[in-house]
Amino acid sequence: MEKKEYAQLNEVFYQETLANGLQVTLLPKADYHKTYGLFTTNYGSIDNEFIPLGQTEFVHVPDGIAHFLEHKLFEKEEGDVFQTFGKQGASANAFTSFTHTSYLFSSTEQVYKNLETLINFVQEPYFTKETVEKEKGIIGQEIQMYQDDPNWRLFFGIINNLYPEHPLHIDIAGTEASIAEITAEDLYLCYTTFYHPSNMHLLVVGNLEPEAMMTFIRENQAKKAFAPAQKIERRFPKETSIVKESQIKMSVNRAKAVIGIKGLTEVPSDSAEAVRYKFALQLLLELLFGNTSQNYLQLYDEGIIDDSFGYELNMERNFYFGDISSDTSQPEQFAQAIIQMLTSYETSAELTEEKVALLKKKRIGSFLHSLNSLEYMANQFSQNQAGEITLFDHLPILESLQLADIQQAAQKFIKEEAISKFYMYPNDEK
Amino acid sequence: MKRELTTGVNLHIIPTKKYKTTRISIRFSTPLKKETVTKRALLSSLMETNSLNYSDQVKVSEALAELYGASFGITVTKKGNRHYFSISLSVVDDQYISLDQAILTKAVAFLQEIIFAPNRSELGFDAETFTREKQNLQEYIASIFDDKQTYASLELQKLYFSDSSDQSVPSFGTLEDLEKETPASISTYYDEMIKNDLVDILVIGDVEETELRALFEKFPLAARNDLDKKTLFYHQSVKQTCHTKIDVQPVVQSKLNIGYATSTYYYQEDYFPLVVFNGLFGGFPHSKLFMNVREKESMAYYASSSVDTFRGYMSVQTGIEGKNREKVLRLVEEQLVSLQQGNITAEELTQTKAMLKNHYLMSLDSAAAVVEKEYVKNQLPETAISDEEWQKRVEQVTIQAVKKVAGKIQMQAVYFMEGAGN
Repeated sequence: MEKKEYAQLNEVFYQETLANGLQVTLLPKADYHKTYGLFTTNYGSIDNEFIPLGQTEFVHVPDGIAHFLEHKLFEKEEGDVFQTFGKQGASANAFTSFTHTSYLFSSTEQVYKNLETLINFVQEPYFTKETVEKEKGIIGQEIQMYQDDPNWRLFFGIINNLYPEHPLHIDIAGTEASIAEITAEDLYLCYTTFYHPSNMHLLVVGNLEPEAMMTFIRENQAKKAFAPAQKIERRFPKETSIVKESQIKMSVNRAKAVIGIKGLTEVPSDSAEAVRYKFALQLLLELLFGNTSQNYLQLYDEGIIDDSFGYELNMERNFYFGDISSDTSQPEQFAQAIIQMLTSYETSAELTEEKVALLKKKRIGSFLHSLNSLEYMANQFSQNQAGEITLFDHLPILESLQLADIQQAAQKFIKEEAISKFYMYPNDEK
Repeated sequence: MKRELTTGVNLHIIPTKKYKTTRISIRFSTPLKKETVTKRALLSSLMETNSLNYSDQVKVSEALAELYGASFGITVTKKGNRHYFSISLSVVDDQYISLDQAILTKAVAFLQEIIFAPNRSELGFDAETFTREKQNLQEYIASIFDDKQTYASLELQKLYFSDSSDQSVPSFGTLEDLEKETPASISTYYDEMIKNDLVDILVIGDVEETELRALFEKFPLAARNDLDKKTLFYHQSVKQTCHTKIDVQPVVQSKLNIGYATSTYYYQEDYFPLVVFNGLFGGFPHSKLFMNVREKESMAYYASSSVDTFRGYMSVQTGIEGKNREKVLRLVEEQLVSLQQGNITAEELTQTKAMLKNHYLMSLDSAAAVVEKEYVKNQLPETAISDEEWQKRVEQVTIQAVKKVAGKIQMQAVYFMEGAGN
C-alpha cells in the first residue's frame, strides 16, 4: 500500500493495485460523519463494440446496455440490494456516463458491512430472462422522462451534430427499440468483459483506518476467482465530418441555442500533460465567456443571453468537446456572436496576462472549495487509472499555467470545421 | 454561540476546522406576504447583479475572482409564515493560500458593499439594470412551465393552499405582481427591508469571535422589532372535500401529485412519528410508494413523498403513464391505508430509522445544513437537542405512534398533468 501526502492541502491518500488487478484508493477524512464507497468500472454507454473476454472477434451490443446492466446489478435472487443497504443504514446509488459506470453507498455506521455489500453485489451478477424483461418497462419510462427534458435534448442535439457516427450521440439509456433487444446473455457478455477487476477502481473516502480497511478489501478479493486479466479491445466507427447545423421544436417557452466545438487534435497521452491541456482549454473558455469577460457582459446587456448561459468542456477517454449554450430569444444572433468570439481568439482583448492571473486565482479557490465535498473527491479519484496523476496534483499544474499555454491550446482546439450549431424553437401551438 | 449586535440583529458563530472554507450567511426575515414576495425576489436579483461601486456584473465577478473564487449568491426562500432573503458567501481559508492574507476581512467588506450600497439614485434602482433583471425574472418564472416536475408541484401547492394567497405564491413571486414593480417601488421596499427585517448573520469556519464582531459591527443596521408575533407555523383548517385539477400538456410522461394535511409540526406533538411515517411511506427507496407503486406494479418512473412540517403539509409526486391515473391514485391510497392500519414489519421500521439517522448525521457534514440548523434553533428553542437525543427520539417511535400520526393524514388536493404526446 502506497501512501501519498500533500502537506499544503493537509490531505493524504493510500493506494494499492491488488493481485487480481483491482485498483484501490483510500482517502481518510477524520472530521466527517459519513463514509463514501465508490466502485467504478471504466465502461460506459459508448462501449458498444468490443472483443469479449476470452474471445477473438468483435461483437456489437444494443445501445443503452451499460445503463441497463447498472440497473440490473441491483437485483439479486434474494431481492433488491437497495433494501440490503437500507437495512444497514446506508443510501446507495449508481450512475452511468459515456465512459464509466459507478456504484456507491454512503453511510454513517456499519461501514465495513456496507463496503462488503458494495463489493459483493457488483461482483455477483444475477440476470435472468424474467428480470430483464421486467426492467424494460422501468427504463422505458426513464427514457421518456429524458425525452421531455429540454436541456437534455439540447445537449444531445449538439452531440448528434458533432458525432453523427460515434456512439456518443446515443442517449446513455438507449432507445425504447434498442433496449427491447437486450437479453440476459448480452448482459453477461458485457459484464465478464468490463467488470473484470483489472478494469475497475474501488475508492473509499471518510472516517476510516487505512491499514485495516485495505486488509479487509484484500481478503475479500482473495476469496474470489477471476479469469486472467486481458487488455480490452474497443472499436469505434470512423469519424466523419460534423453536421454544421440542425434544429428541433419542443414544448418550451423560450428558444435555446448551443454551439459545439469538437476536439480534433489528440489529447496528450501523458496524464499530467492531458490535465494541463484540459485546464488550458477550460481557462480559455472562461477567459472568452466567463462572467469576468467583456464578451459575457456584452451578450448579457444586449439581451442575447440570460442566467441560463453556460459553457462546458467535456473531456473523457476517446473524445472531447466544448459546448456553449443559452436560453435566448435571438438564437441566430447568439450563434453568430459566439462563433465570432471563438474564432477571433488570437486578437481577443480577453486573452491577457492580467486576466489569466485573475482567473487562476478563481480556479485555485474553487479547487479548494471542492475539497469540502467527499462526493466530488470520490468521483474525481475514481476516474483515474493506476499511475495517473490525481486530483491532489492539480494545484501545481493550475499554478503553473501561463497565457502562452492557453494560446497554444486554443490553436489546437478552435478550428472553423470543428464548430456546429443546434437550435431548439418553441412549438407553434401552446 | 449567539451575540446580539443590536435588537433584532444577531451574530451566530459556529467554529470548526473541518472545512477549507469559511461560510457567511446573512438572512433578512419577514412575515410571508403575497404583496412583498415578488418585490423581494426582484430585489435579490438586483443586489446580486451589481452595486454602486461594482456597477456591472463583470466588476462583481472580478471582485469574487480576486477573493479566490468566493461563491456568492442571494436566494429567496420561505418557511411556514416567514419569507427569507439570504445572502451567502463562501471563501477559502487563508491558511491554504501562501500568498494572500486577510481574505475574510476583504470578503466582509465585499458583503457590506453589496448589502448597503445598492446601485440606485434618488430616482430608484439603476434603470438599465432594473429593466434587464425584471425581464430575466419574468423569463425565469415563465420557464418554470418547462420544468414539469417543479411545475406540477407548484400547481398542487396552489390548489392545496387556495385559502391563502400568501402561501400559494412560490418563493420567487408571480408574473402579475412583477408587472407592477418600478425602479422606485423596489428602492422604497429595499429601505423597508433594511430597516424592519430581522437580521441573522451566521458564520461557520475556523474563525474567532472578536475578529468577526469587529467586522460585522461596522454594518449600518439599526435596532428593529419584529412586529408580527404570529408563529412560524402556518395552519389551515382541514377540508372535508378534495380539490382536483387536470391539465393537458404536450409531454410524454404524465404527472400525478397529491397533497395531504398532516396536522403535525416541526418538533411539536407527533413530529418524530411523522418523520418515521414519511420514511415508511415515500421518503426512501425501500418505502411503500417506491416498492409497491414503482417496483412491484411498474406503474411509475418515480413515486415519493415529502413533508413540510412548517405548514402541516405532505405531498406525493409521481411520474406515470396517463392511462394509469386512477390505478396509481388507488395504489397510493392503499399504501396510506396500510400504514394507518399499522401494517409495518419490524424490519421496515428498523430500516427506516437507520436511514433517518444516516441522513441526519450526513447533513452535519454540510456547512450550509449546519448553518440552517443553527438558525432554526434560534427561532424554535425546542429544536436545540443534542445529536444523541435526536437519534434517541427517532429510536423511540413505535408502530402504534406511526399508526396514530398516519390516522391524522387527510387527502386535500390532487393535481394531474396529462401528457398528450410530443
